[in-house]
Order: sequence, then C-alpha cells, then structure tokens
Amino acid sequence: MNTQFKKGILEMCILSIIHDHDMYGFEVIEKLSSEIDVNENTVYPILRRLTSQGLFDTYIEQTKIGAPRKYYKITELGKEKFNDYETEWTAFLKGVFKLLGGMRDER
Amino acid sequence: MKGKYLEDLREILEEYEANKAEIDDIINDYAQLYDDAKANGKSDEEIYQILGKPDEVVDDLMDSLKFKRHKDKGNKIVALMPFISVITYMILGFVYNLWNPGWIVFLSIPMVAIIANTRFKNAIVALSPFLSVIAFLILGFEFQLWHPGWMVFLFIPMSAIILNTRLKDMFVAISPFVATIIFIVLGFYYDLWNPGWLVFLMIPMIGVLYKPNKLHVFLYELSFIVAIGFYLYMGYVYELWAYGGLGFLLPFGIGILLGDVKFELDAIEGPQKNKVIVMLLTIFFCIAAFLTLGFVLDGWIYAWQVFLLIPVVAILAFDKFRFTAIAPFVAVVLFFSIGYFFDMFHISWLAFMIIPIAAILENA
Repeated sequence: MNTQFKKGILEMCILSIIHDHDMYGFEVIEKLSSEIDVNENTVYPILRRLTSQGLFDTYIEQTKIGAPRKYYKITELGKEKFNDYETEWTAFLKGVFKLLGGMRDER
Repeated sequence: MKGKYLEDLREILEEYEANKAEIDDIINDYAQLYDDAKANGKSDEEIYQILGKPDEVVDDLMDSLKFKRHKDKGNKIVALMPFISVITYMILGFVYNLWNPGWIVFLSIPMVAIIANTRFKNAIVALSPFLSVIAFLILGFEFQLWHPGWMVFLFIPMSAIILNTRLKDMFVAISPFVATIIFIVLGFYYDLWNPGWLVFLMIPMIGVLYKPNKLHVFLYELSFIVAIGFYLYMGYVYELWAYGGLGFLLPFGIGILLGDVKFELDAIEGPQKNKVIVMLLTIFFCIAAFLTLGFVLDGWIYAWQVFLLIPVVAILAFDKFRFTAIAPFVAVVLFFSIGYFFDMFHISWLAFMIIPIAAILENA
C-alpha cells in the first residue's frame, strides 16, 4: 500500500480514537495496534505532527506509576479535520465497494 | 537500556540541530512511552521494536521539527558550490594548466552537499567513496601505486562498520578487512603469501573471544595457537606445509565438539536465511572474481571494484530499495571504469553527479 495513503489512514484512525476520549501516547499505540496491523513506531511522530498542526491539545496529568503523563485532547480544528476525513473516506470506500461488487456481478 | 535509547535519540536530534526545547519535549515523551510500555510488561527488546530505532524515529519526526537558523547557511554554500567549483577549475586550468587533475574540484559539489545535509556518522560513510577515490588517484598518478593502492577502498565498508556497529561487534566485523590489508602487504612486499594467509585466522580468533563460556574461549584460542605452531613447524622445518595444514583439524574438531560448527543453515530462520545465503555467495563470488581478474588478467588496478558489490547486495537484501543508497557505489564504478578503460578521467568524474541527482529525485 502506498506510504502516503497509509499515513493518511493512520492520521484518520488516530483522530478517531482520540475523538472519543483523551488518551496518552502509549495508550494510542496499544489501541491502534490491537485493531489494525500498524508499524507502532510511526504513531508518535504522527501524534506530534497533528499536535503541531493544532488538531490536538496536550495537558499533563499525574499518574500512579510515578512520572506525570502527557494526554492528547482533540481540538475543534481536529474535529473538523476528522469530519472531512470521514466524509472523504466514506465516499472512497463506497466507490471501492461499488467497483468490487460490479466486478463480482460481471464474473 | 532506557537511558541508552534516550541518549541515542537526543544525540541524533542534536546532530540535526533541532530546537533545544523541542528536543527536551520529545525526550520526555519517549521517556513516558518507555515507562508506560515497561509498566505494561514489555521487555526492553519489545519496547525498542515499538518505539523504533532512534535514527528512524528522527527521520519520521523531521517534518514536525523546527531547526536552528544557521542550517540555512549550509544550504547556501551547497547552492554556491557549482559556481565556486567552475571558477576554481578555470583558474587551475588557465593559470596553472592543471586541467587534469584539476577536475577533482568538482567532487566538492556532492561532498559539500553531504557534509551540509547529513548527520556526522552518515556523512563520513557517504563521503568515504569520494575520499577513497581521491586517495586512490593520488596513490596511482603520483606514486604509481594503483596496486595495492586499491586497498583504500576498503575504507568504505570499514567506515560504515566502525561508525554503525557496537564496539563489541566492531572488532569482529572489521577483522576481515584488516586481515586482507595485512595479507596483501605481506604478500606483495615480502612475498609471504604463505604463511601470510594465517592472518585471516584473526577473524575466528577474535570472534570466539566474545563467547560467554571462558573455558570454550580458552580451548579455541589454544587450539588455534597449537594449529598455527604445528603448521609453521612442519612448513619451515620439513617443507611439509600440506601436512602442517592438518593441524587446523584441531580447532575445527573443537568447533564440532562444542556444537558451534554445524553443517546446516537451519540456525538462521525465515526470510533472513535466504538473505544470508545470498550475502555469503556474493562474498565468495567477489573474492573469486577479484583473484581471477588479478592473477589471470593482471587486473589488480580495476579488480577491486568487484568488492563494491558486497555493500550493494547488503543494501539491496537488508534495506528498503533506495537508489540514493547505492548511488555512491555505482558512481565509483562508472567513474573509475570510464576513466581507466577509456582514459577519460577528465570526463568520468561526471558520474558522481548521479549521487545528488538521485538524492534530489528520491527525496523530492
């Protein structure tokens, strides 16, 4: 799969899981890798890029294991971006399924 | 392990001259990721996999990093280098009639680009083909030392090993090159081809030093020393070199007894197995081709180029294919072959231009 395409999907997935509730870095990695086959070490750079683009805010919270943790929270801009992604992705998938269905019918 | 990982990451970020506050922030984030992974029961090796190699992490972080301003100065110099080179070339040619080897100044274009845009370690490795070519031409043209001057090209794989291998593995990895240099010097200058080849035994002798069982280390080293002593004794005293060679059955036998010598490649599994086989075949092919070209065609001057196949095959087998990575080796072969076989060194340096061209096309 094209790397840029894969990165785009990962961005959307990260926006999606943090959309529902705030998460810390390792939690995002765990959640993503439990659902999809993902190269775990690409997650943090994406998180950081999306934060620098203003799609996430961060805040620090104390933890039981000692050191404080950085949490990621989606911003309004992030929500807008996620909605755009969702619309584009749904339209894209619709087209793909239509093509696949069409090919199956032809066969 | 955590400390080393974070230290490596910081070092690379600092080499890229990323903003100090940003470096601290990234290091804090990775320290947290490390702690969280540990708290989830992951081992250090698993965490290393999850977080990724520090240099790859930095590559992925590049588009979100802010750099200090003076990095721009480097790019200005890179942009100016073609003009500076042309002016220098003209001055060398018209004023001093040094058209040849004045063209060497053009090698400064890719070299400056590498220095300005590549991290220290990678810059040395990337510069090694250029430095080797320059040293080789000086040895060849000035001192007629084409052979064994070609040995300067061993600097290319050696620099890569020294700068990218852990100290523990470095001595083993570098020993074949050191042995080759000593062997060639002993052979050509002192006609000691035999027993000069014994220097190659330094490879297994250094290798076994890292075995955890000290008794095994002792047995191996002792068997090598006894075998070498027996070989030299039989050779020099009785002229029976071939019988003396039987002594090497001793370390070989110890290898079988201790379970280190196996007649199978099953120890290596999965896709790595085929790659290792390809690498071994490549090394054997290169040595055979080099010796054949050297002894049969007296082609010592150009035969060294076959060794460039080893790093190229290693890059193709173990890394993602990027022409930029193999471009320096292709350029060296084109440069030397066109220059040597067609006596066109004054034009063949243009081959080095494929390196920045490949880098620009692949990274654009």
